[in-house]
Amino acid sequence: MGAFLRGNRLGLIVAVPFSAFIGLFLIYPSLVVLFKALTPGGAFGLSAMTRALSGTYRSGFINSAWLSLASAVIGGAIGLALALAVKGMTRPRWLHTILDSWSAVASQLGGVPLAFAFIATIGTQGLLTKLLMQLGVDPANFGLSISGFWGLVFVYLYFQIPLMFLVMTPAVHGLRETWREAALILGASPLQYWRSVGLPLLLPATLGGILLLFVNAFTAYSTAAVLNASLNIVPLQIRFLLQGNVITGEEDLANAIVTWVIILLLLTLLLVTLLQRRALRWTRS
Amino acid sequence: MTSQAAAQKRSHIFRAAFLILIAGYFALPLLAMARFAFQNVPMALLTPEKLLTGWSAAGLQTALTDPQIISATWTSIQIVVLSIILNLVILVPLAIVTEVRNPALRPIITALTLLPWVIPPIALVVGVAATFRIAAPWFLASNLSLVPFYALWAMPFTYRLLDAGLRAINARTLYEAARGMGASFPAVMLRVILPNMRSSMIASAALTTALVLGEFAFASLLLKSTLPTEMVTFERSDPRGGLALALFVMVFTAVILGLVVRAMRRRGLTFHASGV
Repeated sequence: MGAFLRGNRLGLIVAVPFSAFIGLFLIYPSLVVLFKALTPGGAFGLSAMTRALSGTYRSGFINSAWLSLASAVIGGAIGLALALAVKGMTRPRWLHTILDSWSAVASQLGGVPLAFAFIATIGTQGLLTKLLMQLGVDPANFGLSISGFWGLVFVYLYFQIPLMFLVMTPAVHGLRETWREAALILGASPLQYWRSVGLPLLLPATLGGILLLFVNAFTAYSTAAVLNASLNIVPLQIRFLLQGNVITGEEDLANAIVTWVIILLLLTLLLVTLLQRRALRWTRS
Repeated sequence: MTSQAAAQKRSHIFRAAFLILIAGYFALPLLAMARFAFQNVPMALLTPEKLLTGWSAAGLQTALTDPQIISATWTSIQIVVLSIILNLVILVPLAIVTEVRNPALRPIITALTLLPWVIPPIALVVGVAATFRIAAPWFLASNLSLVPFYALWAMPFTYRLLDAGLRAINARTLYEAARGMGASFPAVMLRVILPNMRSSMIASAALTTALVLGEFAFASLLLKSTLPTEMVTFERSDPRGGLALALFVMVFTAVILGLVVRAMRRRGLTFHASGV
């Protein structure tokens, strides 16, 4: 009984600051947003919530979803391929050090410097644009511009690929060499091994990673803001509403959009957790 | 056997081509940025014979001596240090107590520490504008008011790293063994558990640094003066200097991180930056 109480007291000592911290800085502002979203103009009602999903705001959600999906699937595939390609590579010796640190910087720090870098690369006066023009190809003829849909996907891949690489590396290392050898000895071709052993084992982690990338792109603000993206996406709409909140009613709209975003992210997180639980079954033992 | 060798060779060539392509994608924007930042020749006038002319670091020098940039850098450094400390002070004891005393609670704590991930900067900024800006404007007046929020967003990966670190060293067994042999509770913590968590703490500090030096949405929408927001302002008046500064910050952070990773590898520790 004494030990139990002591354990509890210790639990309390660490749990109280943690809960107070999350409660004050995360839960409280979020609940206020939820409350305001559900009480537009002071009375309970769903008008703000439905308006947040109609007209220009609906197209914002649709654009954001496509942008996030495209960059998550492409970035996820390339990131996974990268993790698989460098698995077991021991030379050059600095390879993994560079990959780890650069991935952390590109995926976390990204944002503003990335926007600058891509203006210098694929902007109208960019290096790659110039090179392509020299070759007689004008990207603008294909409707490609840095602030349009595929331009943004191209830029977002710069932080999506490294994030997928970081996320998948532990899972890829969980693939035992002995399993591959066993399959090959039993007469399976490398293709058969990948189709019936490797990929099914990596599938839950891969799907989880892609969902994570989806969320990452959906909430990415800085790159699009600095690039002055012409694509109408949710984070830029939130900025617009937040800066123009002198107009009455607009503030409730920002709250409603944020509420939808949080609902979407909560569902995704739930899915990721389920997938990870499945992935863990194999990587544990 | 020869066909197998040929297949292996093919796959090696394929892999090399893929890696070169990826390296190109990651290097090209940096090169373009470096050219713009350090070569004072407009793109339209750039011809092969002018490739080696007009290079200078004047842009970077202007940026690094700009008083606004210097003070924003100092602010960001303070935010980095304080966020790391706040994050670790809250999460290290929580992770240890959860693992060694209340392992049954681990799924709940893990889920709670993932919450900041569901409410990202662009979402929380609306809530903060609706609450703190009205109820406690004095709090948001300081640039350092960003610290608790940045610590919050560092929480998901920090807790994962700490938890993985504790499990890797079998903290519960170590704890019970040390206690069984008569070590006091503080002695177990200070002499057994904490020294073994160094690598998790260093990795999380490194990631927190990258996070704070990159966060723009929250700081900019709350009109705070940090390195990323000042970088954008500076770039508007001096594009060359702005790009030079951005490149410098990115490469500098990557080198520091690289040194940390290498030092950890040398000691046989792994750097798993995985945020999920």
